[in-house]
Amino acid sequence: MDTARIRADFPALSCTVHSHPLVFLDSAASSQKPLPVLEAMERVYREYYANVHRGIYAFSEEATLAYENARDRVASFINARGREEIVFTRNTTEAINLVAYTWGRANIRPGDRILLTEMEHHSNIVPWQLLAQEKGAQLVYLPITDDGFLRMDLLDSLLDGQVKLVAVTMMSNVLGTINPVREIVQKAHGAGAVVLVDAAQAVPHMPVDVQDPDCDFLAFSGHKMCGPTGIGVLYGKEALLEAMPPFLGGGDMIRKVEWESATWNRLPWKFEAGTPAFVEGIGLGAAVDYLSGIGMEAIAAHERGLTAYAMERLSVLPGLSVIGPPAHQRGGVVAFTFRGIHPHDIAHMLDMEGIAVRAGHHCAQPLHRRLGLTATVRASFYLYNTAEEVDRLAQTLERVGETLGR
Amino acid sequence: MSTFYSETILDHYAHPRNWGRLPSPDIVADNDDPSCGDQVHLEIALGPDGRVAQVAFEGEGCMISMASASLFTEHLQGKRIADLEGLTEEEVLGWLDAPIPPNRRRCALSPLIALRAGLAAYRRAAGG
Ligand SMILES: Cc1ncc(COP(=O)(O)O)c(C=O)c1O
Repeated sequence: MDTARIRADFPALSCTVHSHPLVFLDSAASSQKPLPVLEAMERVYREYYANVHRGIYAFSEEATLAYENARDRVASFINARGREEIVFTRNTTEAINLVAYTWGRANIRPGDRILLTEMEHHSNIVPWQLLAQEKGAQLVYLPITDDGFLRMDLLDSLLDGQVKLVAVTMMSNVLGTINPVREIVQKAHGAGAVVLVDAAQAVPHMPVDVQDPDCDFLAFSGHKMCGPTGIGVLYGKEALLEAMPPFLGGGDMIRKVEWESATWNRLPWKFEAGTPAFVEGIGLGAAVDYLSGIGMEAIAAHERGLTAYAMERLSVLPGLSVIGPPAHQRGGVVAFTFRGIHPHDIAHMLDMEGIAVRAGHHCAQPLHRRLGLTATVRASFYLYNTAEEVDRLAQTLERVGETLGR
Repeated sequence: MSTFYSETILDHYAHPRNWGRLPSPDIVADNDDPSCGDQVHLEIALGPDGRVAQVAFEGEGCMISMASASLFTEHLQGKRIADLEGLTEEEVLGWLDAPIPPNRRRCALSPLIALRAGLAAYRRAAGG
Protein backbone atom coordinates (compact mmCIF):
# COMPACT_ATOMS: atom_id res chain seq x y z
CA MET A 1 0.00 0.00 0.00
CA ASP A 2 1.44 3.35 -1.03
CA THR A 3 0.69 5.53 1.98
CA ALA A 4 2.33 8.61 0.52
CA ARG A 5 0.02 8.47 -2.48
CA ILE A 6 -3.00 7.83 -0.29
CA ARG A 7 -2.12 10.81 1.90
CA ALA A 8 -2.02 13.05 -1.15
CA ASP A 9 -5.70 12.22 -1.68
CA PHE A 10 -6.65 13.73 1.71
CA PRO A 11 -6.29 17.54 1.67
CA ALA A 12 -6.79 17.87 5.43
CA LEU A 13 -3.72 15.75 6.13
CA SER A 14 -1.39 18.45 4.84
CA CYS A 15 -2.73 21.03 7.30
CA THR A 16 -0.63 22.59 10.01
CA VAL A 17 -1.98 22.71 13.56
CA HIS A 18 -0.39 24.98 16.19
CA SER A 19 2.59 25.33 13.80
CA HIS A 20 3.08 21.56 13.55
CA PRO A 21 2.15 19.23 10.70
CA LEU A 22 -1.13 17.55 11.64
CA VAL A 23 -0.93 14.00 12.97
CA PHE A 24 -4.52 12.81 12.83
CA LEU A 25 -5.09 9.86 15.15
CA ASP A 26 -8.84 10.09 15.71
CA SER A 27 -10.30 8.30 12.73
CA ALA A 28 -12.28 5.94 14.94
CA ALA A 29 -14.38 8.99 15.83
CA SER A 30 -14.59 10.21 12.25
CA SER A 31 -12.21 9.87 9.31
CA GLN A 32 -10.79 12.47 6.95
CA LYS A 33 -12.16 12.66 3.41
CA PRO A 34 -10.38 11.92 0.14
CA LEU A 35 -10.70 14.08 -2.98
CA PRO A 36 -12.90 11.62 -4.94
CA VAL A 37 -15.56 11.93 -2.21
CA LEU A 38 -15.34 15.72 -2.05
CA GLU A 39 -15.44 15.93 -5.83
CA ALA A 40 -18.37 13.54 -6.22
CA MET A 41 -20.44 15.65 -3.84
CA GLU A 42 -19.41 18.94 -5.35
CA ARG A 43 -20.28 17.60 -8.80
CA VAL A 44 -23.85 16.92 -7.67
CA TYR A 45 -24.28 20.43 -6.35
CA ARG A 46 -22.70 22.02 -9.41
CA GLU A 47 -23.89 19.83 -12.23
CA TYR A 48 -27.06 17.87 -11.57
CA TYR A 49 -28.60 18.84 -8.25
CA ALA A 50 -32.35 18.20 -7.92
CA ASN A 51 -34.55 16.27 -5.53
CA VAL A 52 -34.58 12.51 -6.05
CA HIS A 53 -37.46 10.12 -6.79
CA ARG A 54 -39.75 12.97 -7.89
CA GLY A 55 -38.93 15.10 -10.86
CA ILE A 56 -39.73 14.11 -14.41
CA TYR A 57 -36.75 15.97 -15.72
CA ALA A 58 -33.11 15.29 -16.46
CA PHE A 59 -31.49 16.61 -13.28
CA SER A 60 -33.79 14.70 -10.99
CA GLU A 61 -33.38 11.53 -12.97
CA GLU A 62 -29.62 11.83 -12.92
CA ALA A 63 -29.55 12.51 -9.17
CA THR A 64 -31.90 9.59 -8.50
CA LEU A 65 -29.79 7.29 -10.62
CA ALA A 66 -26.57 8.34 -8.88
CA TYR A 67 -28.13 7.92 -5.43
CA GLU A 68 -29.58 4.49 -6.12
CA ASN A 69 -26.39 3.47 -7.84
CA ALA A 70 -24.47 4.42 -4.70
CA ARG A 71 -26.84 2.19 -2.74
CA ASP A 72 -26.05 -0.71 -5.04
CA ARG A 73 -22.32 -0.20 -4.54
CA VAL A 74 -22.79 -0.09 -0.77
CA ALA A 75 -24.81 -3.32 -1.05
CA SER A 76 -22.06 -5.12 -2.91
CA PHE A 77 -19.37 -3.65 -0.60
CA ILE A 78 -20.87 -5.63 2.32
CA ASN A 79 -22.17 -8.45 0.11
CA ALA A 80 -25.87 -7.77 0.68
CA ARG A 81 -28.23 -9.58 -1.68
CA GLY A 82 -29.65 -6.40 -3.14
CA ARG A 83 -30.64 -2.77 -2.69
CA GLU A 84 -33.82 -3.79 -0.81
CA GLU A 85 -31.57 -4.65 2.13
CA ILE A 86 -29.76 -1.29 2.29
CA VAL A 87 -31.65 1.40 4.21
CA PHE A 88 -29.91 4.76 4.34
CA THR A 89 -30.02 6.43 7.75
CA ARG A 90 -28.13 9.35 9.23
CA ASN A 91 -25.58 7.17 11.02
CA THR A 92 -25.10 4.00 13.05
CA THR A 93 -27.06 5.46 15.93
CA GLU A 94 -30.11 6.11 13.80
CA ALA A 95 -29.84 2.66 12.20
CA ILE A 96 -29.90 0.99 15.61
CA ASN A 97 -32.76 3.20 16.77
CA LEU A 98 -34.69 2.30 13.64
CA VAL A 99 -34.49 -1.38 14.57
CA ALA A 100 -35.39 -0.67 18.19
CA TYR A 101 -38.43 1.44 17.26
CA THR A 102 -39.80 -0.79 14.53
CA TRP A 103 -38.66 -4.40 14.87
CA GLY A 104 -38.29 -3.95 18.62
CA ARG A 105 -41.75 -2.52 19.27
CA ALA A 106 -43.34 -5.20 17.13
CA ASN A 107 -41.43 -8.15 18.56
CA ILE A 108 -40.27 -7.48 22.11
CA ARG A 109 -42.76 -8.43 24.85
CA PRO A 110 -42.79 -8.09 28.64
CA GLY A 111 -40.29 -10.49 30.16
CA ASP A 112 -38.23 -10.86 26.98
CA ARG A 113 -34.51 -10.32 27.20
CA ILE A 114 -32.12 -8.35 25.04
CA LEU A 115 -28.52 -9.50 25.24
CA LEU A 116 -25.82 -6.84 24.87
CA THR A 117 -22.15 -6.91 25.83
CA GLU A 118 -20.18 -4.89 28.35
CA MET A 119 -18.14 -3.29 25.57
CA GLU A 120 -20.99 -1.63 23.67
CA HIS A 121 -21.01 2.00 22.57
CA HIS A 122 -23.82 4.09 24.11
CA SER A 123 -25.61 3.97 20.77
CA ASN A 124 -25.95 0.20 21.13
CA ILE A 125 -27.16 0.46 24.74
CA VAL A 126 -29.49 3.41 25.13
CA PRO A 127 -31.99 2.53 22.33
CA TRP A 128 -32.40 -0.89 23.98
CA GLN A 129 -32.85 0.67 27.41
CA LEU A 130 -35.67 2.81 26.01
CA LEU A 131 -37.26 -0.22 24.36
CA ALA A 132 -36.88 -2.38 27.47
CA GLN A 133 -38.45 0.31 29.65
CA GLU A 134 -41.36 0.67 27.28
CA LYS A 135 -41.96 -3.05 26.94
CA GLY A 136 -41.04 -4.30 30.39
CA ALA A 137 -38.19 -6.29 28.88
CA GLN A 138 -34.84 -6.92 30.48
CA LEU A 139 -31.30 -6.10 29.36
CA VAL A 140 -28.59 -8.67 29.97
CA TYR A 141 -24.90 -8.01 29.40
CA LEU A 142 -22.34 -10.56 28.28
CA PRO A 143 -19.37 -9.76 30.54
CA ILE A 144 -15.82 -9.14 29.38
CA THR A 145 -12.51 -10.35 30.78
CA ASP A 146 -10.07 -7.88 32.32
CA ASP A 147 -8.02 -7.96 29.14
CA GLY A 148 -11.00 -6.99 27.02
CA PHE A 149 -12.39 -10.19 25.50
CA LEU A 150 -16.01 -11.29 25.59
CA ARG A 151 -16.68 -14.07 28.09
CA MET A 152 -17.72 -16.51 25.36
CA ASP A 153 -17.82 -19.28 27.97
CA LEU A 154 -20.93 -17.60 29.42
CA LEU A 155 -22.78 -17.13 26.15
CA ASP A 156 -24.63 -20.45 26.11
CA SER A 157 -26.02 -19.98 29.59
CA LEU A 158 -27.15 -16.41 28.85
CA LEU A 159 -28.93 -17.46 25.65
CA ASP A 160 -31.80 -18.94 27.59
CA GLY A 161 -34.75 -18.86 25.18
CA GLN A 162 -35.97 -15.60 26.74
CA VAL A 163 -33.42 -13.69 24.68
CA LYS A 164 -35.10 -12.32 21.56
CA LEU A 165 -32.31 -10.08 20.35
CA VAL A 166 -28.54 -10.05 20.60
CA ALA A 167 -26.90 -6.69 19.80
CA VAL A 168 -23.13 -6.82 19.65
CA THR A 169 -20.29 -4.75 18.29
CA MET A 170 -18.04 -6.32 15.68
CA MET A 171 -15.13 -4.28 16.96
CA SER A 172 -14.88 -2.29 20.19
CA ASN A 173 -14.14 1.40 19.67
CA VAL A 174 -12.25 1.49 22.98
CA LEU A 175 -10.57 -1.89 23.44
CA GLY A 176 -10.06 -2.61 19.77
CA THR A 177 -11.26 -6.17 20.37
CA ILE A 178 -12.54 -7.89 17.26
CA ASN A 179 -15.38 -10.07 18.44
CA PRO A 180 -16.16 -13.64 17.28
CA VAL A 181 -19.38 -12.56 15.62
CA ARG A 182 -19.74 -15.75 13.57
CA GLU A 183 -19.91 -17.89 16.71
CA ILE A 184 -22.25 -15.41 18.42
CA VAL A 185 -24.62 -15.41 15.45
CA GLN A 186 -24.65 -19.20 15.24
CA LYS A 187 -25.41 -19.59 18.92
CA ALA A 188 -27.98 -16.80 18.96
CA HIS A 189 -29.80 -18.24 15.96
CA GLY A 190 -29.70 -21.64 17.62
CA ALA A 191 -31.46 -20.08 20.60
CA GLY A 192 -34.04 -18.36 18.39
CA ALA A 193 -32.68 -14.81 18.76
CA VAL A 194 -32.23 -12.18 16.08
CA VAL A 195 -28.77 -10.58 15.86
CA LEU A 196 -27.90 -6.93 15.26
CA VAL A 197 -24.25 -6.22 14.59
CA ASP A 198 -22.83 -2.77 15.30
CA ALA A 199 -20.25 -2.57 12.53
CA ALA A 200 -19.39 1.14 12.96
CA GLN A 201 -15.74 0.24 13.60
CA ALA A 202 -15.65 -2.77 11.31
CA VAL A 203 -16.96 -1.77 7.88
CA PRO A 204 -14.44 1.12 7.57
CA HIS A 205 -11.46 -1.05 8.49
CA MET A 206 -11.84 -4.65 7.36
CA PRO A 207 -13.72 -6.77 4.84
CA VAL A 208 -17.29 -7.30 6.09
CA ASP A 209 -19.71 -9.80 4.58
CA VAL A 210 -23.24 -9.62 5.96
CA GLN A 211 -23.91 -13.19 4.80
CA ASP A 212 -20.95 -14.60 6.72
CA PRO A 213 -21.56 -14.25 9.62
CA ASP A 214 -25.23 -14.48 8.82
CA CYS A 215 -26.29 -11.12 10.37
CA ASP A 216 -29.95 -10.17 10.64
CA PHE A 217 -29.19 -6.46 11.01
CA LEU A 218 -25.93 -4.59 10.64
CA ALA A 219 -25.31 -0.88 11.15
CA PHE A 220 -22.51 1.49 10.17
CA SER A 221 -21.73 5.18 9.52
CA GLY A 222 -20.45 6.82 6.35
CA HIS A 223 -18.39 9.44 8.15
CA LYS A 224 -16.05 6.88 9.69
CA MET A 225 -15.20 5.37 6.30
CA CYS A 226 -14.06 8.37 4.26
CA GLY A 227 -17.65 9.36 3.49
CA PRO A 228 -19.56 12.47 4.55
CA THR A 229 -21.50 13.03 7.76
CA GLY A 230 -25.28 12.60 7.72
CA ILE A 231 -25.34 9.25 5.95
CA GLY A 232 -25.30 5.80 7.52
CA VAL A 233 -26.55 2.37 6.68
CA LEU A 234 -28.87 -0.19 8.14
CA TYR A 235 -28.51 -3.55 6.48
CA GLY A 236 -31.45 -5.85 7.22
CA LYS A 237 -32.55 -9.18 5.82
CA GLU A 238 -35.31 -8.54 3.36
CA ALA A 239 -37.88 -10.75 5.12
CA LEU A 240 -37.27 -8.97 8.43
CA LEU A 241 -37.45 -5.49 6.88
CA GLU A 242 -40.57 -6.48 4.95
CA ALA A 243 -42.37 -7.53 8.13
CA MET A 244 -41.38 -4.45 10.12
CA PRO A 245 -43.67 -1.45 10.52
CA PRO A 246 -42.23 1.81 9.12
CA PHE A 247 -40.03 4.13 11.18
CA LEU A 248 -40.74 7.76 10.31
CA GLY A 249 -43.81 8.73 8.33
CA GLY A 250 -43.93 11.22 5.49
CA GLY A 251 -43.10 11.62 1.84
CA ASP A 252 -41.16 9.01 -0.12
CA MET A 253 -41.97 6.16 2.26
CA ILE A 254 -45.59 5.81 1.13
CA ARG A 255 -47.30 4.17 -1.82
CA LYS A 256 -50.76 5.64 -1.38
CA VAL A 257 -52.12 8.10 1.18
CA GLU A 258 -55.80 8.50 2.09
CA TRP A 259 -57.29 10.86 4.68
CA GLU A 260 -57.21 8.22 7.40
CA SER A 261 -54.44 5.86 6.40
CA ALA A 262 -51.63 5.07 4.02
CA THR A 263 -49.81 2.13 2.52
CA TRP A 264 -46.06 1.80 2.38
CA ASN A 265 -43.54 2.07 -0.36
CA ARG A 266 -41.37 -0.90 -1.30
CA LEU A 267 -38.07 -1.64 0.40
CA PRO A 268 -35.82 0.08 1.15
CA TRP A 269 -37.72 3.37 0.67
CA LYS A 270 -40.37 2.33 3.20
CA PHE A 271 -37.80 3.34 5.83
CA GLU A 272 -36.66 6.57 4.20
CA ALA A 273 -39.22 9.27 4.90
CA GLY A 274 -38.71 12.73 3.48
CA THR A 275 -36.00 14.06 1.19
CA PRO A 276 -33.02 11.83 1.90
CA ALA A 277 -29.40 12.94 2.29
CA PHE A 278 -28.84 11.91 -1.29
CA VAL A 279 -25.77 14.05 -1.94
CA GLU A 280 -24.21 12.37 1.08
CA GLY A 281 -25.39 8.99 -0.21
CA ILE A 282 -23.59 9.70 -3.47
CA GLY A 283 -20.55 10.72 -1.42
CA LEU A 284 -20.71 7.43 0.44
CA GLY A 285 -20.81 5.61 -2.88
CA ALA A 286 -17.59 7.40 -3.85
CA ALA A 287 -16.05 6.46 -0.49
CA VAL A 288 -16.91 2.81 -1.04
CA ASP A 289 -15.29 2.95 -4.49
CA TYR A 290 -12.22 4.59 -3.02
CA LEU A 291 -11.83 1.98 -0.27
CA SER A 292 -12.52 -0.90 -2.67
CA GLY A 293 -9.90 0.48 -5.05
CA ILE A 294 -7.28 0.16 -2.31
CA GLY A 295 -8.72 -3.08 -0.97
CA MET A 296 -10.12 -3.74 2.48
CA GLU A 297 -7.63 -6.57 3.10
CA ALA A 298 -4.76 -4.20 2.39
CA ILE A 299 -6.26 -1.53 4.66
CA ALA A 300 -6.75 -4.03 7.47
CA ALA A 301 -3.17 -5.30 7.10
CA HIS A 302 -1.79 -1.74 7.12
CA GLU A 303 -3.69 -0.95 10.32
CA ARG A 304 -2.58 -4.20 11.96
CA GLY A 305 1.02 -3.28 11.27
CA LEU A 306 0.63 0.24 12.66
CA THR A 307 -1.23 -0.99 15.71
CA ALA A 308 1.45 -3.55 16.52
CA TYR A 309 4.11 -0.87 16.11
CA ALA A 310 2.18 1.60 18.27
CA MET A 311 1.68 -0.98 21.03
CA GLU A 312 5.41 -1.69 20.94
CA ARG A 313 6.42 1.97 21.02
CA LEU A 314 3.92 2.99 23.69
CA SER A 315 4.26 0.05 26.03
CA VAL A 316 7.91 0.91 26.76
CA LEU A 317 6.94 4.33 28.16
CA PRO A 318 7.08 4.01 31.94
CA GLY A 319 3.64 4.34 33.52
CA LEU A 320 1.74 3.86 30.28
CA SER A 321 -0.81 1.08 30.20
CA VAL A 322 -2.80 0.10 27.15
CA ILE A 323 -6.24 -1.39 27.78
CA GLY A 324 -7.57 -4.28 25.75
CA PRO A 325 -6.14 -7.29 23.94
CA PRO A 326 -2.65 -7.80 22.50
CA ALA A 327 -1.86 -6.25 19.11
CA HIS A 328 -2.55 -9.30 16.95
CA GLN A 329 -6.09 -9.59 18.34
CA ARG A 330 -7.29 -6.02 17.90
CA GLY A 331 -8.15 -3.47 15.27
CA GLY A 332 -6.55 -0.06 14.90
CA VAL A 333 -7.43 1.57 18.19
CA VAL A 334 -5.12 1.90 21.17
CA ALA A 335 -6.60 3.37 24.35
CA PHE A 336 -4.35 3.97 27.31
CA THR A 337 -3.73 5.69 30.61
CA PHE A 338 -0.41 7.37 31.37
CA ARG A 339 1.26 8.15 34.69
CA GLY A 340 -1.93 9.31 36.35
CA ILE A 341 -2.15 12.32 34.06
CA HIS A 342 -5.76 13.14 33.22
CA PRO A 343 -6.55 12.17 29.61
CA HIS A 344 -7.79 15.69 28.84
CA ASP A 345 -4.44 17.12 29.83
CA ILE A 346 -2.61 14.58 27.67
CA ALA A 347 -4.84 15.22 24.66
CA HIS A 348 -4.39 18.93 25.13
CA MET A 349 -0.60 18.75 25.27
CA LEU A 350 -0.58 16.50 22.21
CA ASP A 351 -2.82 18.96 20.40
CA MET A 352 -0.32 21.72 21.09
CA GLU A 353 2.14 19.57 19.12
CA GLY A 354 -0.32 19.01 16.27
CA ILE A 355 -1.36 15.50 17.32
CA ALA A 356 -5.10 14.82 17.40
CA VAL A 357 -6.22 12.03 19.74
CA ARG A 358 -9.40 11.41 21.65
CA ALA A 359 -9.70 11.75 25.44
CA GLY A 360 -12.67 10.74 27.54
CA HIS A 361 -14.95 7.75 27.79
CA HIS A 362 -15.45 7.43 24.00
CA CYS A 363 -19.21 6.96 24.45
CA ALA A 364 -18.63 3.85 26.52
CA GLN A 365 -19.14 4.92 30.13
CA PRO A 366 -20.30 1.52 31.41
CA LEU A 367 -17.22 -0.12 29.85
CA HIS A 368 -14.88 2.39 31.49
CA ARG A 369 -16.62 1.85 34.82
CA ARG A 370 -16.20 -1.91 34.36
CA LEU A 371 -12.47 -1.33 33.85
CA GLY A 372 -12.29 0.96 36.89
CA LEU A 373 -11.49 4.03 34.79
CA THR A 374 -13.30 7.29 34.11
CA ALA A 375 -11.43 8.19 30.97
CA THR A 376 -8.66 7.10 28.63
CA VAL A 377 -6.65 8.57 25.78
CA ARG A 378 -7.29 6.87 22.46
CA ALA A 379 -5.16 6.90 19.33
CA SER A 380 -6.78 5.30 16.30
CA PHE A 381 -5.35 4.54 12.90
CA TYR A 382 -6.58 4.45 9.36
CA LEU A 383 -5.24 3.81 5.87
CA TYR A 384 -3.46 7.17 5.76
CA ASN A 385 -1.51 6.93 9.01
CA THR A 386 2.20 6.17 9.08
CA ALA A 387 4.85 4.72 11.36
CA GLU A 388 6.44 8.20 11.53
CA GLU A 389 3.21 9.49 13.04
CA VAL A 390 3.34 6.75 15.64
CA ASP A 391 6.92 7.84 16.39
CA ARG A 392 5.78 11.42 16.86
CA LEU A 393 3.05 10.27 19.21
CA ALA A 394 5.47 8.21 21.28
CA GLN A 395 8.14 10.92 21.40
CA THR A 396 5.66 13.61 22.33
CA LEU A 397 4.06 11.44 24.99
CA GLU A 398 7.45 10.92 26.52
CA ARG A 399 7.85 14.68 26.85
CA VAL A 400 4.32 15.06 28.18
CA GLY A 401 5.26 12.53 30.86
CA GLU A 402 8.35 14.54 31.78
CA THR A 403 6.40 17.80 31.92
CA LEU A 404 3.20 16.73 33.66
CA GLY A 405 3.84 13.32 35.18
CA ARG A 406 3.83 12.93 38.92
CA MET B 1 7.84 21.53 25.38
CA SER B 2 5.30 24.20 24.61
CA THR B 3 2.53 24.15 27.14
CA PHE B 4 -0.44 26.40 27.43
CA TYR B 5 -0.50 25.57 31.14
CA SER B 6 0.62 28.61 33.07
CA GLU B 7 2.98 28.45 36.03
CA THR B 8 -0.08 29.18 38.14
CA ILE B 9 -1.89 26.09 36.86
CA LEU B 10 1.12 23.82 37.23
CA ASP B 11 1.80 25.13 40.72
CA HIS B 12 -1.76 24.82 41.98
CA TYR B 13 -2.11 21.38 40.44
CA ALA B 14 1.09 20.14 42.05
CA HIS B 15 0.39 21.87 45.38
CA PRO B 16 -3.34 22.20 45.89
CA ARG B 17 -4.20 24.85 48.49
CA ASN B 18 -6.80 24.29 51.22
CA TRP B 19 -7.19 20.61 50.45
CA GLY B 20 -9.57 18.74 52.75
CA ARG B 21 -12.80 19.27 54.63
CA LEU B 22 -14.04 21.77 57.22
CA PRO B 23 -15.44 20.87 60.66
CA SER B 24 -18.70 22.76 60.16
CA PRO B 25 -19.15 24.29 56.73
CA ASP B 26 -22.09 26.59 55.95
CA ILE B 27 -22.02 25.96 52.24
CA VAL B 28 -21.27 22.59 50.70
CA ALA B 29 -21.01 22.32 46.96
CA ASP B 30 -20.40 19.54 44.47
CA ASN B 31 -20.01 19.23 40.77
CA ASP B 32 -19.55 15.91 38.98
CA ASP B 33 -18.95 15.91 35.27
CA PRO B 34 -19.46 12.33 34.11
CA SER B 35 -18.23 13.14 30.64
CA CYS B 36 -14.65 13.52 31.82
CA GLY B 37 -14.84 12.27 35.38
CA ASP B 38 -14.03 15.65 36.92
CA GLN B 39 -15.30 15.92 40.48
CA VAL B 40 -15.10 18.95 42.73
CA HIS B 41 -16.25 19.14 46.34
CA LEU B 42 -16.16 22.60 47.89
CA GLU B 43 -16.82 23.62 51.51
CA ILE B 44 -17.20 27.17 52.79
CA ALA B 45 -17.48 28.44 56.37
CA LEU B 46 -18.74 31.94 57.01
CA GLY B 47 -17.43 34.16 59.78
CA PRO B 48 -19.57 36.15 62.25
CA ASP B 49 -19.44 39.09 59.82
CA GLY B 50 -21.08 36.96 57.13
CA ARG B 51 -17.93 36.86 55.03
CA VAL B 52 -16.11 33.76 53.84
CA ALA B 53 -13.77 32.72 56.63
CA GLN B 54 -12.56 29.34 55.46
CA VAL B 55 -12.70 27.40 52.22
CA ALA B 56 -11.59 23.86 51.47
CA PHE B 57 -11.86 21.52 48.54
CA GLU B 58 -11.32 17.97 47.48
CA GLY B 59 -11.67 16.46 44.05
CA GLU B 60 -10.37 14.46 41.21
CA GLY B 61 -9.88 15.53 37.65
CA CYS B 62 -7.72 17.16 35.07
CA MET B 63 -5.12 19.78 35.86
CA ILE B 64 -7.28 22.69 34.85
CA SER B 65 -10.24 21.70 37.00
CA MET B 66 -8.06 20.95 40.02
CA ALA B 67 -5.94 24.08 39.65
CA SER B 68 -9.09 26.13 39.22
CA ALA B 69 -10.59 24.67 42.40
CA SER B 70 -7.41 25.35 44.33
CA LEU B 71 -7.30 28.96 43.08
CA PHE B 72 -10.95 29.26 43.96
CA THR B 73 -10.32 28.51 47.62
CA GLU B 74 -7.83 31.39 47.81
CA HIS B 75 -9.87 33.92 45.88
CA LEU B 76 -13.10 33.33 47.82
CA GLN B 77 -11.51 34.35 51.15
CA GLY B 78 -13.21 37.37 52.73
CA LYS B 79 -15.99 37.61 50.17
CA ARG B 80 -19.62 38.18 51.07
CA ILE B 81 -22.44 35.93 49.86
CA ALA B 82 -23.47 38.63 47.41
CA ASP B 83 -19.92 38.65 46.00
CA LEU B 84 -20.04 34.90 45.55
CA GLU B 85 -23.35 35.19 43.78
CA GLY B 86 -21.94 37.82 41.48
CA LEU B 87 -18.85 35.84 40.55
CA THR B 88 -18.51 35.64 36.77
CA GLU B 89 -16.99 33.04 34.50
CA GLU B 90 -14.50 35.55 33.17
CA GLU B 91 -13.20 36.29 36.68
CA VAL B 92 -12.64 32.60 37.34
CA LEU B 93 -10.90 32.09 33.99
CA GLY B 94 -8.72 35.12 34.75
CA TRP B 95 -7.38 33.52 37.92
CA LEU B 96 -5.86 30.70 35.86
CA ASP B 97 -3.54 33.17 34.16
CA ALA B 98 -3.63 31.34 30.82
CA PRO B 99 -5.89 31.43 27.79
CA ILE B 100 -8.34 28.57 28.24
CA PRO B 101 -9.54 27.21 24.89
CA PRO B 102 -13.31 26.78 24.46
CA ASN B 103 -13.26 23.00 24.81
CA ARG B 104 -11.56 23.24 28.22
CA ARG B 105 -13.73 25.99 29.73
CA ARG B 106 -15.94 23.35 31.26
CA CYS B 107 -12.99 22.01 33.23
CA ALA B 108 -11.98 25.48 34.38
CA LEU B 109 -15.51 26.41 35.41
CA SER B 110 -16.23 23.19 37.27
CA PRO B 111 -15.75 24.79 40.74
CA LEU B 112 -17.98 27.73 39.75
CA ILE B 113 -20.73 25.33 38.72
CA ALA B 114 -20.31 23.63 42.09
CA LEU B 115 -20.42 26.95 43.93
CA ARG B 116 -23.61 28.04 42.18
CA ALA B 117 -25.34 24.79 43.11
CA GLY B 118 -24.07 25.14 46.68
CA LEU B 119 -25.32 28.73 46.96
CA ALA B 120 -28.75 27.75 45.66
CA ALA B 121 -28.99 25.01 48.28
CA TYR B 122 -27.77 27.42 50.96
CA ARG B 123 -30.41 29.97 50.03
CA ARG B 124 -33.14 27.32 50.04
CA ALA B 125 -32.03 26.11 53.47
CA ALA B 126 -32.02 29.70 54.74
CA GLY B 127 -35.63 29.98 53.61
CA GLY B 128 -35.22 32.41 50.76
C1 LIG C 1 -18.74 0.95 17.98
C2 LIG C 1 -19.53 2.17 17.64
N1 LIG C 1 -20.86 2.11 17.57
C3 LIG C 1 -21.61 3.17 17.27
C4 LIG C 1 -21.06 4.39 17.01
C5 LIG C 1 -21.96 5.56 16.72
O1 LIG C 1 -21.74 6.06 15.46
P1 LIG C 1 -22.51 7.39 15.01
O2 LIG C 1 -22.14 8.43 16.01
O3 LIG C 1 -21.96 7.66 13.66
O4 LIG C 1 -23.95 7.08 15.01
C6 LIG C 1 -19.68 4.52 17.08
C7 LIG C 1 -19.02 5.82 16.82
O5 LIG C 1 -18.62 6.57 17.63
C8 LIG C 1 -18.90 3.39 17.41
O6 LIG C 1 -17.57 3.47 17.50
